[in-house]
Amino acid sequence: MAFRNSEGLKMKANPRDVRTGTYYMDGDIAAGYGALAAGCRFIGGYPITPSTEAAESFARIAPQSGAVFVQMEDELASVASIMGASWSGVKTMTITSGPGYSLMMEAIGLGAMMEAPFVILNIQRGGPSTGVPTKTGQADMMQSRWGSHGDYEVIAISPDSPQELFDFMIKAFNLAEKYRCPVMVMSDECVGHMSEKVVVPPAEEIELEPRRIYTGPKEEYLPFKPDQDLVPKMVKAGDGYNLYVSGASHDERGYPIIYQKGKNQSDSTARRLVDKIRLNADKIIELHEEKLDDAEVVVVSYGITSRVAVRGIELARKKGIKVGKLRLVTVWPFPDQRISELAAKVKAFVVPEINYGQVVYDVERCSHGEANVVLVPHGGAGVHDPEDILEAIEYAATEKKKIRKVIIRKTRLEKKVFGGGLK
Amino acid sequence: MESKEMAEKNVLPKDVPTMDVHPMDDVLRMDRIPHIWCPGCGIGTAVTAFAEGLKKAEIDLQKTCIVSGIGCTGRVAGYVKLDSFHTTHGRGIAFATGIQVANPDLKVIVFSGDGDIMSIGGNHFIHAARRNVNMLVICVNNFIYAMTGGQVAPTTPHAAYATTSPFGAVEPPFNIPYIADSSGAVYVARWTVLQVRRLTDSIAEALKKPGFSVIEVISPCAMYYSRINRLGDGLDMMKFYHDNTEIRHGEDTKNLDIGFQTKIIVGKFVDRERPTYMDSYNKWLSGTVKD
Amino acid sequence: MNPIITAFANGIKKSGIELSKVVVVSDIPFDPEIIKELGIDFFHTTRGRAIAFGTGLKLGNPELKVVAFIGDLMTIGGNHLVHSGRRNMEMLVICVNNFVYKEIAGTPSPSVTTGFSAFSTFEKPFNAPHLANSCGAVFTARWTALHTNDLTNSIAYALPKPGFSVIEVLSPGPNFYQDINKIESELLNFYFQNSITKNKEDTRNVEITADEKIITGEFTDKKKTTFIDSYNAQLGKILGDKFIPLGGQNE
Repeated sequence: MAFRNSEGLKMKANPRDVRTGTYYMDGDIAAGYGALAAGCRFIGGYPITPSTEAAESFARIAPQSGAVFVQMEDELASVASIMGASWSGVKTMTITSGPGYSLMMEAIGLGAMMEAPFVILNIQRGGPSTGVPTKTGQADMMQSRWGSHGDYEVIAISPDSPQELFDFMIKAFNLAEKYRCPVMVMSDECVGHMSEKVVVPPAEEIELEPRRIYTGPKEEYLPFKPDQDLVPKMVKAGDGYNLYVSGASHDERGYPIIYQKGKNQSDSTARRLVDKIRLNADKIIELHEEKLDDAEVVVVSYGITSRVAVRGIELARKKGIKVGKLRLVTVWPFPDQRISELAAKVKAFVVPEINYGQVVYDVERCSHGEANVVLVPHGGAGVHDPEDILEAIEYAATEKKKIRKVIIRKTRLEKKVFGGGLK
Repeated sequence: MESKEMAEKNVLPKDVPTMDVHPMDDVLRMDRIPHIWCPGCGIGTAVTAFAEGLKKAEIDLQKTCIVSGIGCTGRVAGYVKLDSFHTTHGRGIAFATGIQVANPDLKVIVFSGDGDIMSIGGNHFIHAARRNVNMLVICVNNFIYAMTGGQVAPTTPHAAYATTSPFGAVEPPFNIPYIADSSGAVYVARWTVLQVRRLTDSIAEALKKPGFSVIEVISPCAMYYSRINRLGDGLDMMKFYHDNTEIRHGEDTKNLDIGFQTKIIVGKFVDRERPTYMDSYNKWLSGTVKD
Repeated sequence: MNPIITAFANGIKKSGIELSKVVVVSDIPFDPEIIKELGIDFFHTTRGRAIAFGTGLKLGNPELKVVAFIGDLMTIGGNHLVHSGRRNMEMLVICVNNFVYKEIAGTPSPSVTTGFSAFSTFEKPFNAPHLANSCGAVFTARWTALHTNDLTNSIAYALPKPGFSVIEVLSPGPNFYQDINKIESELLNFYFQNSITKNKEDTRNVEITADEKIITGEFTDKKKTTFIDSYNAQLGKILGDKFIPLGGQNE
């Protein structure tokens, strides 16, 4: 009974949805199990390597819980259908990878404007365009934040193991219901196709965020009137509330502001969509920090790279370098404040990414020139070697000058394949 | 000499002509052979028929382009020695329209699979047919999304199994010749990869015909469709086609549905004339724009 | 638009369907006051995606009756139309055809020459009932905006009918015309005068061309298993007791 509680009361997962047990499974399949455990009742999807297994695993276990998986004709239809399902009262998500993610951008803007809660699982792959479909990449990070046109904010979380793919699906649905914004789970092919131990806990231990339902009198309902935390209460279609939900900029009744005669037509909708996340950022942002107390160099990473970084940090500590780890569990909204604080204390940040520089520019922005920022790029189709991160940490620890731009330390593979250049 | 001795000495009998090059060398990219398709796949046969059809039609190969999408059949462009384009998923027909309209001398062929052309590319398909853009679309139908691992396709027969329909396909499948016919294609045919010679003739005929032509080629998928549905391997599927196809030229396209392991009707169904897109365009503009 | 909305409202009343369960999805921005008077839920989506959006609404809550008012059915929405017809997704699609967006316009008719662009399209237009029929729609019809009674009856019949139904309504769009009031009502009248009703006509023959009369009427009316029924039947057969059918559960 996902939607009968009013706000503030957490609820437990339905035991029918949760396949309790200990498994050895792929990340993708764990994501399918996690989605059902979170209460997802509709997935409109389209097959794309490397994310198809998530859709397949959901299709196998969904009918026994009354959930539906429909393979739509393309990604455009998939994402449009989950908006509709969201407004008809169910938790929904879709599953895709790079090329499909680009197709979904228009509808993500629509979902942000309509404040429909939904989750998109993006198992990133080599890009751009068709790229390398069967190998890993992390090059969609900026697109998840800025992909659609206009002003809006999203939440993006990045898991680093199949167990986390299961847990983060639940976390993503909870965030989506709480903030009514698009939530992107930015995984990658390495984690998606990795097989590891996944423990699915019993249903009583899984806490779900219920949808915030309006329970007052019908005539007084204003679909877009926000609560204290700037998130409005929701209802579902077909209950006699006479909804008007539009992708156009609207007022509290949902009516497009072009219909307001004589009023000042400044767009206040986008302001609230943006503030909703920015002002609640401290409650949303989650970071994993290790060994930061005496650190002189901080390795900022996310996703699979953070696991490689752990080894790199270990090797560096053995050599006596004081290095700490900052893992971005939530990549968006970006932890501006924490990075700024650290920038005042440490010498440098090392940012390994499986792309040619995306999140590193936000790190540089927030460091305000007080610490060096070193990027370790990787072209994709594989992950970093811990030695590459070690080399970058060593450089960062010994560099005395303040260099006012992102310093690129190439991996040994890059140097071997491309030689010099790329500075 | 005895044939056994000849085989040992690696010598051919005198009256067998020898060639230094393979007869398909000028149409296939030999440096990319061996190809990636599975044993028991019908796409290779379709490509051979296509190569033979190209030669039979005697069109200028320098002025021919082939466009493919994503998928197993989408790899065809990489193995054929024409100007090849391997585009994004489903957009092959739109891409080909651009080539054709910008340079009407080029003959464009779109060679792609059922998921690529009918699912995500469905919109482009019906609009190009309506406009009667001058191109040949060869749609290899193996009833499944093979490249991504065997998901259900809009052509998968009802109740057949696939990875995303683990309890049987729920939706009724498309009837590709019917859609092509209703949208306005001028030449519509369907063959299986068993009928290679008829397929070759069909391709040769369609290549010379101006307008939007569609040839559906039914092919086995030994790795996914046949395996998941316990239909045997490629050879078993070919035997099935042998026993269960019926050639009916000119049949009304409404009756061409394909169910799970039912009779398949093949043949040439539609062959008509319509002004092509560029003809209408030129005629209209010369009528309205006075110079 | 207004005669269409009146016909729609009367159609809902006549069909006896509970008003609160009717949901309209559209890419045409309706005036909110009209929606308030109609008393239904309304979703305004991006161009052409109303059918996909409606699919999600219907499958999320199978009790809803989804109506997609779509202007851009056959261009951006073409793929969704074709596949939803194939699935026989239960919804009613009302295509408001105003001949302006180029897919539909034919040659300009002789009596309305002012205001049309000189480069009117040369492309052959889509025959909407025929396209819908070949994609598997169970009910297709075409009326002009002035055929209010017929339109009401068609909507009243199609709304409770299970399956994918398409009603095309010819109505002038005010965009390109100079003297809106005069030409709009003149065009409305023109469509009405030049139409001839032929029910049960084969959809292949109902193309709109410049020289002949526009053929209106209810063309297709057949029965086909809907997506939800097919889904429940197929999965019930395989899974037996473990399966929870769509439309029965309350989650």
